Amino acid sequence: MATLAVGSLLQNPRLSSPRGQKLLLNLKPLRSLDLDCSPHRKLLCSRGACFSNSNPCGKFYIVKASSTDTAPIDTFSSADILYEQTFPVNRIEKVEGKLLIRLDQSKDQLNWRLTIGCSLSGKWILHWGVSYVGDTGSEWDQPPQDMWPHGSIPIKDYAIETPFKKPSKDDTFHEVKIDFNPSSAIEAIHFILKDEETGASYQHKGRDFRVSLVNYLEDDGNMIHAKSSFGKWPDAVEQLPNMVLKAEASCDSKNENRRLEGFYEEQPIVKEVSVGNMVNVAIRKFPDAANIVLHLETDIPGDVVVHWGVCRDDAKTWEIPAVPYPPETTVFRNKALRTLLQPTGNGSRALFTLDEKLDGFLFVLKLDANSWVNFQGNDFYIPLSSARSVKGQSDSESEETSGKAHTDGIINEIRNLVSGLNSEKSLQTKVKEAKESILNEIEKLAAEAYSIFRSSTPSYPEEDSDADDAEPTINISSGTGSGFEILCQGFNWESNKSGRWYMELKEKASEISSLGFTVIWLPPPTESVSSEGYMPKDLYNLNSRYGTIDELKDLVKSLHGVGLKVLGDVVLNHRCAHYQNQNGVWNIFGGRLNWDDRAVVGDDPHFQGRGNKSSGDNFHAAPNIDHSQDFVRKDLIEWLCWLREEIGYDGWRLDFVRGFWGGYVKDYLDASEPYFAVGEYWDSLSYTYGEMDHNQDAHRQRIVDWINATNGTAGAFDVTSKGILHSALERREYWRLLDQKGKPPGVVGWWPSRAVTFIENHDTGSTQGHWRFPGGKEMQGYAYILTHPGTPAVFYDHIVSHHRSEIGALISLRNRNKIHCRSIVEIVKAERDVYAATIDDRVAVKIGPGYYEPPSGPQRWSLALEGYDYKVWEASS
Amino acid sequence: MEVSVIRSCSQATNPKTELGFSDSRFSFGKFNEKLFSRKPNSVSFESPLRRGKSGLRITAQAAQSDRLPKSKSSTKSKTLNRIRLFAGLPLDVVSGGTVNQFRAISAGLKALKLLGLEGVELPIWWGVVEHESMGKYNWSGYLTIAEMVRKAGLKLNVTLCFHASSQPKIPLPEWVLDIGKTKSNIFFKDRAGKPYRGCLSLAVDELAVLNGKTPMEVYQDFCESFKSAFSAFIGSTITGITMGLGPDGELRYPSHRGFAKSGTVPGAGEFQCYDKNMLHLLKQHAEACGKPKWGLGGPHNAPAYSELPTANTFFKDHGGSWESPYGDFFLSWYSSQLIAHGDRLLSLASSVFSDSAVNIFGKVPLMHSWHGTRSHPSELTAGFYNTATRKGYKEVAEMFARNSCKIILPGMDQSDKYQLKESLSSPELLLAEIGTACNKHGVRISGQNSTVGAPDGLKQIKKNMLSENLNDSFIFQRIGAQFFAPEHFPLFIEFVRKLNQPEPHSGNLPTKEGTTTATDSVHTRSNLSIHMQSA
Repeated sequence: MATLAVGSLLQNPRLSSPRGQKLLLNLKPLRSLDLDCSPHRKLLCSRGACFSNSNPCGKFYIVKASSTDTAPIDTFSSADILYEQTFPVNRIEKVEGKLLIRLDQSKDQLNWRLTIGCSLSGKWILHWGVSYVGDTGSEWDQPPQDMWPHGSIPIKDYAIETPFKKPSKDDTFHEVKIDFNPSSAIEAIHFILKDEETGASYQHKGRDFRVSLVNYLEDDGNMIHAKSSFGKWPDAVEQLPNMVLKAEASCDSKNENRRLEGFYEEQPIVKEVSVGNMVNVAIRKFPDAANIVLHLETDIPGDVVVHWGVCRDDAKTWEIPAVPYPPETTVFRNKALRTLLQPTGNGSRALFTLDEKLDGFLFVLKLDANSWVNFQGNDFYIPLSSARSVKGQSDSESEETSGKAHTDGIINEIRNLVSGLNSEKSLQTKVKEAKESILNEIEKLAAEAYSIFRSSTPSYPEEDSDADDAEPTINISSGTGSGFEILCQGFNWESNKSGRWYMELKEKASEISSLGFTVIWLPPPTESVSSEGYMPKDLYNLNSRYGTIDELKDLVKSLHGVGLKVLGDVVLNHRCAHYQNQNGVWNIFGGRLNWDDRAVVGDDPHFQGRGNKSSGDNFHAAPNIDHSQDFVRKDLIEWLCWLREEIGYDGWRLDFVRGFWGGYVKDYLDASEPYFAVGEYWDSLSYTYGEMDHNQDAHRQRIVDWINATNGTAGAFDVTSKGILHSALERREYWRLLDQKGKPPGVVGWWPSRAVTFIENHDTGSTQGHWRFPGGKEMQGYAYILTHPGTPAVFYDHIVSHHRSEIGALISLRNRNKIHCRSIVEIVKAERDVYAATIDDRVAVKIGPGYYEPPSGPQRWSLALEGYDYKVWEASS
Repeated sequence: MEVSVIRSCSQATNPKTELGFSDSRFSFGKFNEKLFSRKPNSVSFESPLRRGKSGLRITAQAAQSDRLPKSKSSTKSKTLNRIRLFAGLPLDVVSGGTVNQFRAISAGLKALKLLGLEGVELPIWWGVVEHESMGKYNWSGYLTIAEMVRKAGLKLNVTLCFHASSQPKIPLPEWVLDIGKTKSNIFFKDRAGKPYRGCLSLAVDELAVLNGKTPMEVYQDFCESFKSAFSAFIGSTITGITMGLGPDGELRYPSHRGFAKSGTVPGAGEFQCYDKNMLHLLKQHAEACGKPKWGLGGPHNAPAYSELPTANTFFKDHGGSWESPYGDFFLSWYSSQLIAHGDRLLSLASSVFSDSAVNIFGKVPLMHSWHGTRSHPSELTAGFYNTATRKGYKEVAEMFARNSCKIILPGMDQSDKYQLKESLSSPELLLAEIGTACNKHGVRISGQNSTVGAPDGLKQIKKNMLSENLNDSFIFQRIGAQFFAPEHFPLFIEFVRKLNQPEPHSGNLPTKEGTTTATDSVHTRSNLSIHMQSA
């Protein structure tokens, strides 16, 4: 007889046809004895047992011997118990029984009765249905109501389930009786058997059982009583288990009438029963003895062989120990020892004498040729070393105990909260008890899971970018880019001279990118009255002294290719006219944007505009555009969008934004949606008697006001910081780098995320030199802006100078330490000749000739960069 | 004589029997459902008997749930225990190839089994499995989990996460991010051009941007590899596969980035149509509609992420651009792109797993803030063109129905009364709205709680279970320290128990029929989760 086990097949929620086929192929032979062992099951079978939370890794809590349900071991009463562990073992045993099927006529001779019995104990359920004559499919139908035995419940519309009942209380025998009228159109009764306790169901050759009620059917293979045999039925069902009644005669009746014949048949049935056993291991030591004694005992019945070895290291490599061995020990292939356990009253045991110096004792149990018991897939491992340590270190023991006490505390908490649930229902005591024990188990498991999860739950720092999004008043937007931008001004005042700047810069694209820049600012692209591009004429004509529109597109593509965002320099404040008006004033525009004098502000007498009063300061060299005119704004928006689309610019550097209201800038940026935008709001700092004021709040306030007017959609060059750096460095007044509130004194101290810090540009430096950074101190300036919050911008001239490598090092330090526009700066020193600060606790910087070293603290600062009058440190922890 | 023994995995005594924790329910596969729908009153399995000679044996499996006869249950009664209950495993249960907190997971699984849960949900991350290079899959950790789940006798619903997680940090595969460094347009972009690196833009679904392959091909390879690696589990232990559809696995645009701080009013969200490819599609569409100027970008007057809908004019309750012909043009396009994307992925999953006995799920977000306004800004920016004047979930439900997929709706724990008044939010109304659309199209609904949690969440979940908003399963998110904590776990135990013990005062519950007593029902119910095999 082949008995097959299919794990989990039954729980498959939907077996459509191809699936079923496939799964059936997965049938695997059941070993005669399937063993499993896991600690928690033991809880279910013997709740009184004392054992700790076992750990599959082989580390066990040490539990002092306490009352267990193992047999007391008197022989060792004088010895110290160094270790004791009870391993629960779950075995699946097969119990054989019989399934009895009987069809006979009831006493009244009218109805027939199908009796299905089972000799095995269990909560048996008959899951059954019928099929009718003429049905073509194999589906079941629900039996007619009058066939339902008492206690049946319908299963959807095609089956019912009927519990087996015991004819008498003491019986192990269960049966279901189905009465039916033979004249109905029912062709067959189909059923399978289920054991509610184990969830198993029993079929016949992989199909449902089928009792044919008409006998002219072909034999489909799964018909019981296929041969139409009949038998005499014993009246007393009680006798069934002991009876083997086979049909004496089988007549292959081929009658085609519906003459029913009674029959009786038995089928062997094998049920798997889970049996809880345990293995107890105790280690004891006699006073003054050099060896320790390991006592192994199990209640598994029958011959049990311990297949064992010892190990001397954590790798758990098996080796054979020195003698003595227990009796009945053989050496197995020079790798292990096999010892047959000696039977005791209710199990078997053995004593192993072991050297104290060994690390561990390894074993598995062998029950017969094919059956092994291991510990959750691994060898049982008994740490001998921990047994040793217990002796000397009572501390560790109490620690373990307190750990356990803590777990118990959690369990109690849970218990208190759920207690009372049980009282709601008046359930049978037995059910209650079972519930209680399972609740108990659930609580223990939950407590275990909780304690592990809790100890290893990492805390997640909130990400900066997320914090950005949550800032209520500020968009994450073109004002900041990603927050980690480093800007390169990709030209100087002379760049237009060659006429092929775009081509030249293209050569340098990868070099600029490799320095660590993320954004590059290109010169103004439009046709311009001045060759540098700041006197634009036809905005849609992008052939300039820097190159042609195609060269520009090509350059932008290359820059994108190396991962740089590209800013276009757009001049929105003013525009040079194509034509003169009737007064000979140049204020009529041509090209695609052929505006007339309404596009020119009305308060600049030079250009006789008919527009409104300027919303800002006037730039007197060209007609200032009146941004209050809807058509102007619409055209400019369209132009910016065109630039984005056509050229691929990612954002803007906005020229001379002092000239018009920041609110218009917001419109332009909202519409053109740049990745990054920065405005040039440059006016003079405050001086008193030729000396720069310490307090430049008014100056930075004007810049901040402008940024505010743009609703934070753009950043602004931090002219304030540049000015203060000038004084601080030139005059050795490093104290200027601290404002009254302890912050940096520039825009960067007030609105760092919108401050684009710089030390030089094409106007201030280059060949114009309107406001040149103190010579020789450039690197101090860069050490400042490249370590501080804000978005630093580096001038082209400096990256092609001898400063290049130092600047590159500072940029990579900034990137490495993830300093961003909102990094936190803490100024630690601002004195006459030295300024020092730490940024995000990761970077420390000092500029100036004075002395400064960061304190030795938990960060463990290490010097990262050093140059003329500046030093930068990184935290190394 | 042969008797085949089929036994369930749980070898130990079946605790469900005594406890009555077991949930019983109805779970038919797609195939069977179709059969039933054709022939509602008779289960029509193929006949293996008459095909015996062909060697083909067809096994149909039916599971049962309603103990009540059909005729009697025709009243609109509903038992809570019809809903299969799952719990989600920790998001980072596997990292590298190994299982984290193995012991805790294994204890947790046992506890859940004893509680009578149907199974667990396992998030499988693209960024973990195909981490290093394209086509190189490491399933080992997940296979371990599947085996643990099988051993515990639980079912598994896997979620294929083609997105990234920020907490814990599980990014997209490294090689994808590398590609994204130079081609940031494989990601969604917002108006500022900031890419969202949490998933790929739906606009590149069918563009060969990943080393010559399209993302759809890469997803398909991933699914195929999953299928062959887990073939031993699919259909048995693995009963459901949730296809990741976008940010956080949900069918939506990443219109809200980052986490809203609790207690703050969430913003309107931002449209995400600014990556190059989306813009290109938009442009094409606009030109096809004869409105080329509408294709130059997204709505210029929409507020930013955290701004209130009133911060600009697009979502204005009356006369907002959303109601203009342009608004309709844009929103129709924007939402149809999303639905087409969902359709692509779900039909991919349906075809890859067509011969597997698994349910395919997809998750749709519950964008419930601002639901009280006429324009529903949160839904619009997320890609659901659902407003006071237009029922937008019809197309979504249709798409799910077309692919025979089930829908997962999160936020089942959110109730209206705990929402910030200022956010004009209504999770309950929105849920009912989506639920109605799904029921209309026969899409079965599986629920989830929100990850942020909600006061009285369990109560609200139960309420939803009683309504038509939830009729398939519920996935409780998620196992972890907080889940097993003494302040939560007992509540969860109680929640699970109550599912099997309907409250007597609730009029919506079925009355016990016939002779079944309370004790009986405990006994019989556990039995109901056993599936019958007939052939």
